[in-house]
Amino acid sequence: MFLTVSLILAVIVVAYIVAQSRLKLSVELAMLVAALVGAVVAGNYLPLRHIAEGSVTYLDLALIFFTATLFMNIIKASGGLDFTVRAIMTRFGNRRAIALILLMFIMLIPGAITGAGSVSVLVSGGAVAMALASMGISKQRIAAIVFLLAGLSAVAPPVSVWAMLTCAGTAIPYVGFEIPLGVPVLVLGVFTVLWLGLRRSEGPGDEAVALPEVAPDVTAGRTILPFLVVFGLIVAARVWPWDMPILGLPLVFMIGAIVAYLLNARKVNFFQVSVETVTQLLPLLTTIIVIGIVIQLLTLTGVRGLISYAVIAMPLWVIFLLLPITIPFSEGVLGFGGAAVIGIPLIWTFNSLGVHPTVALSGLSLLWCLGDALPPTAIIGRLTLQTVGYKGSYGSFLRTCAVPWLVITAVGTLMVVFSGKLAPILVFS
Amino acid sequence: MSRHALGKVIIALVALLVLGVGGSELYAHRHYKEPVVLGPGVTRVERLSKYHPPLKGTANDSLVYVLEGEEDGGAVLVLGGTHPGEVAGILAAIVMVENAVPIKGDIYVIPHISRSGSTGTQPSGGYPLYYHIPTEFGARKFRMGDRVTNPLDQWPDPDVYIHYPTGQSLSYVEIRNINRCWPGRPDGTLTEQTCYAAMQLVREHNVNIVIDLHEAELLYPVTNCIVAPSKSATIAVMTQINLSGDFDIHTEPSPVGYRGLSHREIGDHSDAYPFLLEAPEPFLDQPTGPKTEALLLEGVDEFLLAAGKRGLLFVDYDETGKSIELRVGRHLTTTLAILDEWNFNFPEAEIIFECPGYYEMLENGVGAYLRNPDAVDPSRVVYD
Repeated sequence: MFLTVSLILAVIVVAYIVAQSRLKLSVELAMLVAALVGAVVAGNYLPLRHIAEGSVTYLDLALIFFTATLFMNIIKASGGLDFTVRAIMTRFGNRRAIALILLMFIMLIPGAITGAGSVSVLVSGGAVAMALASMGISKQRIAAIVFLLAGLSAVAPPVSVWAMLTCAGTAIPYVGFEIPLGVPVLVLGVFTVLWLGLRRSEGPGDEAVALPEVAPDVTAGRTILPFLVVFGLIVAARVWPWDMPILGLPLVFMIGAIVAYLLNARKVNFFQVSVETVTQLLPLLTTIIVIGIVIQLLTLTGVRGLISYAVIAMPLWVIFLLLPITIPFSEGVLGFGGAAVIGIPLIWTFNSLGVHPTVALSGLSLLWCLGDALPPTAIIGRLTLQTVGYKGSYGSFLRTCAVPWLVITAVGTLMVVFSGKLAPILVFS
Repeated sequence: MSRHALGKVIIALVALLVLGVGGSELYAHRHYKEPVVLGPGVTRVERLSKYHPPLKGTANDSLVYVLEGEEDGGAVLVLGGTHPGEVAGILAAIVMVENAVPIKGDIYVIPHISRSGSTGTQPSGGYPLYYHIPTEFGARKFRMGDRVTNPLDQWPDPDVYIHYPTGQSLSYVEIRNINRCWPGRPDGTLTEQTCYAAMQLVREHNVNIVIDLHEAELLYPVTNCIVAPSKSATIAVMTQINLSGDFDIHTEPSPVGYRGLSHREIGDHSDAYPFLLEAPEPFLDQPTGPKTEALLLEGVDEFLLAAGKRGLLFVDYDETGKSIELRVGRHLTTTLAILDEWNFNFPEAEIIFECPGYYEMLENGVGAYLRNPDAVDPSRVVYD
């Protein structure tokens, strides 16, 4: 079986290269074609059911992307985003470090509450990007700040989906994660935002962007109320979990969008903004649908199992050494599925070798969040560039992330390696 | 129509065709009914909604098979299909329904406690839709389900699941996991209501023992075992000792800090003694080859064999695999052994029944203990 599955994997890789370089297909279509070729080579000649099933793997995520973006686009169309930026910068613009740290918290909160970095990008990313631009920071560095903080927000407690999914699969209670997740996120968040934001950019076209003008009828109440509704519904579900109906994030954002629209009905064309939102998100939605199908086909052919085996079969020191590569790339390829395919067997392996699972899993979560900028999915990386409006190359964006990326990687990896020694300091429950 | 628009229309039609044809297989799977033959011991068949009427007509209004002994005694509830992908638990429960003969006390068997989950699939899992157990009269066909309640029956998920009544936070998907929702909530989600209904059954019939049949990965330390809280620990350990000559089995304590599990909450919220049995199912492991029906039933996988040679597995594993006969047989014999130990400790509430076990399964196969639905009185066949 090793040989057969390895050959299938080789065929998939070759098919992908040919589809991209010779047939000039997009990344998503090339992945789909490659996975289909792999399925056929493995003897699954017409895997229609698997295509149908795989395509809905990330249906919830797609709905969250659409409704959250619609919500923010209505806020933007009503002038609320301009108002928010102006309010923040007028009050704190002269104290650069404090303003940066405040903006960091604005980025961290939505992802910490929902567990999704994408929500941080969609809810806070636009406003924070405009505020950073007004401080004279280049779009390249703004994109890096927004992406890295969004990633850290998804790691931050109380909700870290990677840790929760791995806990669920390993029968480890999701308790005692507040400090091992929270402290590194805050320290790394402050470092990231100061490293990338404290200096003004000095390249051509990097001058401070003037704060946007705000129309006189845009008020604090009209701007804040939709956010209060969204956060109120999210927090209420946490405070009164057994009295509140389960709305789900898509409906929460949709309610927020409707409230924002009703408060600004004269200025906003709901239908037009909805159409623009779909157009804006189409590439991203396509990616997550295709990724779902590809993962299903990789499982069907045994390739997913081979990858999982390859990770856990390595000697422990090699596993540690390769964590900075394998963990982010598992996220890049599988999304949250990386926690199941690699995270769960890895934690079992660690557990049997005396590694402290809570601290190790917290460290792994820091590594996973970086993978959201990595191909083939690069979902949050691409979402960030779209939100920030950065038109430069994807490589230049990644290069700008390099120093904080390396620091986050070092902290995450060391937390895994020295989990036993760190546990008495970081884990209290 | 421009060529560009025509191209879009063609692509949309192809996509619809693929989704339509592919989706029709999933539709058929969701609506497939498994025949179950009522064995000689079954005295009546109920539904869970009897114990919690709001469940009536829902996907989790599961069938409860009642086997009443001629002599009064204690009562045991056997749960299969808490996680419908752990098929040995379901088959063991069905073998009991079709073969067990109660002598003293009552047996309640729910082969599909998560019936909704058994009608769903695991997106990205690449699972087969069905599995077939060979018999003398042809193959008996069963639904292969997902671990959690079908989102068609319970959706959306919250962004974080908060367990009732402890308030412990768990990953969002666990709100559809039967074995994270005990003791249930009468006005909760479908999954919570299902657990609540089963708890009502336990309370109403003064059930003494609840046995929850599961399977686990070979890379998971909690496998080949009985999980028991402290109140059940003595019986579990004695059972383990009594079975040590038959197969590998050990006892795992039910963690006090991990909530929502049957082996924790059932004991805490009723007088019953809960036990959760885990048999090793290679199919569930991540590092395996293709997720085929053969892997599910024979349990032989080269990746896992290699992992075993590297000392990564928590059970002995060789080329003979972990067959469905071995796994179903373990569950049956362990159940009988727990009852033996119970009877020794609590003779005033004895539960005695006859049922094929481990050695019968290994020798004759599971199919030998599945009855032919076409060869019996139709009134003795139910469709689940």
